[in-house]
Amino acid sequence: MESKHYDVVIVGSGISGSVIAKTLTNAGKKVLILEAGLQAGIALEGEAAYNVYQDYIRTFYNAPAKVPNSPYPDLKDAPSIDVLQIQKLQPGQVPPPGYLVQKGPLPFASDCMRGPGGTTMHWLGTTLRMLPNDFRMKSVYDQNVDWPISYEHLKPFYEMAELEIGVSGNVQDQHYPGIGPDFFGEDYVYPMRKIPQSYMDGLISKKTDRLKVTVNDKTYQLSCISTPQGRNSVPNTRYAYSKIIWDKTKKKLRLAKADQYNNIPSLWDNYTGERCEGNASCVPICPVQAKYNALKTLKKANKENLEVSTRSVVSRIIIDKKNKRVEGIEYKRYENPGEPEHTNLTAKGTIYVLAASAIENAKILLASDAANTSDQVGRNLMDHLVMLTWGLSKEKVYPYRGPGSTTNIPTFRDGEFRKEHAAWISPIDNWGWSWPVFSPGSDVSAAIANGLFGKALRDHINEVVTRQVLLHFEVEQSPEPENRVTIDPAYKDALGNYKPVIHYSVSDYMLKSFEAAKIVSDQIFEANDIEDHTVYNPVTDPDYVVYKGQGYTFRGAGHIVGTHRMGFTKDDSVVDKDQRCWDHDNLFLAGCGNMPTLGTSNPTLTMTALAFNVAENILKQL
Amino acid sequence: MKPEVDPKNLFLEISVLLTGFNNAELYATGMFDTYYHALQANTGQANFAYFFEEVEKILLENRNEPEKINQAITSRLMQPSSYNGLAGSIITMWYTGNWGNDVIDGQAYVQGLVWDAAQTHPPGAKQPGFGSWSMPPL
Ligand SMILES: Cc1cc2nc3c(=O)[nH]c(=O)nc-3n(C[C@H](O)[C@H](O)[C@H](O)COP(=O)(O)OP(=O)(O)OC[C@H]3O[C@@H](n4cnc5c(N)ncnc54)[C@H](O)[C@@H]3O)c2cc1C
Ligand code: SF4
Repeated sequence: MESKHYDVVIVGSGISGSVIAKTLTNAGKKVLILEAGLQAGIALEGEAAYNVYQDYIRTFYNAPAKVPNSPYPDLKDAPSIDVLQIQKLQPGQVPPPGYLVQKGPLPFASDCMRGPGGTTMHWLGTTLRMLPNDFRMKSVYDQNVDWPISYEHLKPFYEMAELEIGVSGNVQDQHYPGIGPDFFGEDYVYPMRKIPQSYMDGLISKKTDRLKVTVNDKTYQLSCISTPQGRNSVPNTRYAYSKIIWDKTKKKLRLAKADQYNNIPSLWDNYTGERCEGNASCVPICPVQAKYNALKTLKKANKENLEVSTRSVVSRIIIDKKNKRVEGIEYKRYENPGEPEHTNLTAKGTIYVLAASAIENAKILLASDAANTSDQVGRNLMDHLVMLTWGLSKEKVYPYRGPGSTTNIPTFRDGEFRKEHAAWISPIDNWGWSWPVFSPGSDVSAAIANGLFGKALRDHINEVVTRQVLLHFEVEQSPEPENRVTIDPAYKDALGNYKPVIHYSVSDYMLKSFEAAKIVSDQIFEANDIEDHTVYNPVTDPDYVVYKGQGYTFRGAGHIVGTHRMGFTKDDSVVDKDQRCWDHDNLFLAGCGNMPTLGTSNPTLTMTALAFNVAENILKQL
Repeated sequence: MKPEVDPKNLFLEISVLLTGFNNAELYATGMFDTYYHALQANTGQANFAYFFEEVEKILLENRNEPEKINQAITSRLMQPSSYNGLAGSIITMWYTGNWGNDVIDGQAYVQGLVWDAAQTHPPGAKQPGFGSWSMPPL
């Protein structure tokens, strides 16, 4: 029905779609974004942006469970994956509610957000680079696979991603295992100075930095370092770039010099969100937008060259049977997100990009019978497996203040042990026991059940809540073909689109890390006088696993990765090193789905670097 | 079965005793009327009346004897079997802004006293300012 022709049609307005749209429109290309979410959410300035955001905040205040998706509209016609709905499908029974159909054996525990801006609306904003060895796991450790590109290749794109997101951090602090002196460029600094580390970080680092721990007969010296993150602090006057431009003659993207860096404030005015104010609610919503979200990128697109079609849920791509090129993208435009009525439309362009996040991208490809010569579409689904440990510190540490995490322990991000078990990173969490046991609400109910009231209750809450310490052990999951997204005509959503069917499990290489990480946690707790209160519950924890007789629980990190991986040949992967589908030369994929392995950094910075690389490749091809 | 004193006054007095926050602190939340209405709306008439009758008795019997008042609260109000757990519900309301598992309203969440008790602020509101988290609370 739709006749207009664009240079590029992009599916999704999350960070990957927005980075590509911004880069292409600023280079003069005509772009259409198809976005499944509501029109209101795409407002990029002034009152409209303010009003819709205030609605999100009100919804968040009113939500009984303040989970990542709680502020944002849940649309029947474009449902979001939600952490409150991670029940497994029981054979012979009605599928439990939720967008994912979980076949197990373990439920997949991460979510994402369908709506303008995508999942960065509720991400935390940790922006660590991957390590050089993460790109060559097969060659160095005989595990997993190598990437077809190296850290060196990605390095200039990392710098673009750090500018785009607006990273606050201190390069001097960034000592990771297995990196050389040229990990960062000479004299490189982040756009903004580091976000102050929490009071608790200070206390824990005092006894943990340089602490020697023993695991599997080997001794490691721990370190505690500040975490780079995508939230505004004070601009670093030594940072000298302001934007990313397309150099037509060299056919390359590059950073453009500037006198100073200006932090990117809220969408609605320049005086809100210039600095993090310590709202401590980055997940699920930063009230002042001091934290980066993808709409900030979209706002910088050239509006003359950009159209965004909202309420447009993509179901299928159409492929010319003869030349294998993509001819169009089919989408369903609903009027009312609660009603199934919709119009079927087709968008046409020279080049197409799927940026609908890893699970949805794979699902669309499967529904289109596209890009799958390798049989890798949907496979190798990964996440960081977050094992939490929690305890009560002897000294008051005063959590529930500041951004979610400001310090991490990078010691186990790389090393010889990767031949035996998976690597991990340990963020120190600033928000007490809220994640594992819903503190402090649960502390109040427990105290009431014990008959506490009045001053005794107030004192008790003060004594307990101010001492809560939580550590994460975010374990790198390996790519495994049987962890996968599939489709099945038996499972469709309100618009008649396929729901993703998930098969998911974890194997010994990761389970061994839970064992090792718990041993490290015990030694950290002991050195810090922290009384361990960790409980892994076989009955109530959805992802409870047993290794050598010991039970562990892991949680999802929200890092949905690997479902359409990049590789060396059309037989081992879905996209080539340019992130173009091997099977269709005018179809690019964007997002964490392209990543062959996960490493130990939260994936979005790497994915954003990759998205700039996609934009450059598209500009070369157009 | 009607208490002599306006139940609203009794609600204030018993809220102070149950929460450990004084009148001024409770009023400062701006939530007093909202909570009183929530309490009325969520409690059966008879239970509401019996509860405040008992509150009134406890207060009268033990005037100026805080220890005894506390003992009476423990034995006559804080038992889960007493008045359908109403005393606990009142504490939960002031501390978290919830009635049971439901948020009473957005402001109720923001004004939850648990955050004050823990020397912090509710996530997403009353933000203490850049860098404040790197020092102990005031
Ligand atoms: C709680 C949480 C915390 C996180 N914290 C961090 C962190 O600290 N650091 C980090 O690196 N990463 C973090 N992540 C991961 C990060 O948020 C994601 O990697 C990133 O946002 C993905 O971006 P994307 O653009 O690929 O996809 P998304 O942001 O998911 O965007 C996809 C877009 O596509 C649209 N879309 C989806 N389906 C369709 C369709 N069928 N048709 C049309 N449009 C469609 C959606 O509406 C959306 O706009 C976190 C995730 C979660 C859940
Ligand atoms: S701590 Fe608060 S102000 Fe800072 S980024 Fe998080 S939510 Fe925003």
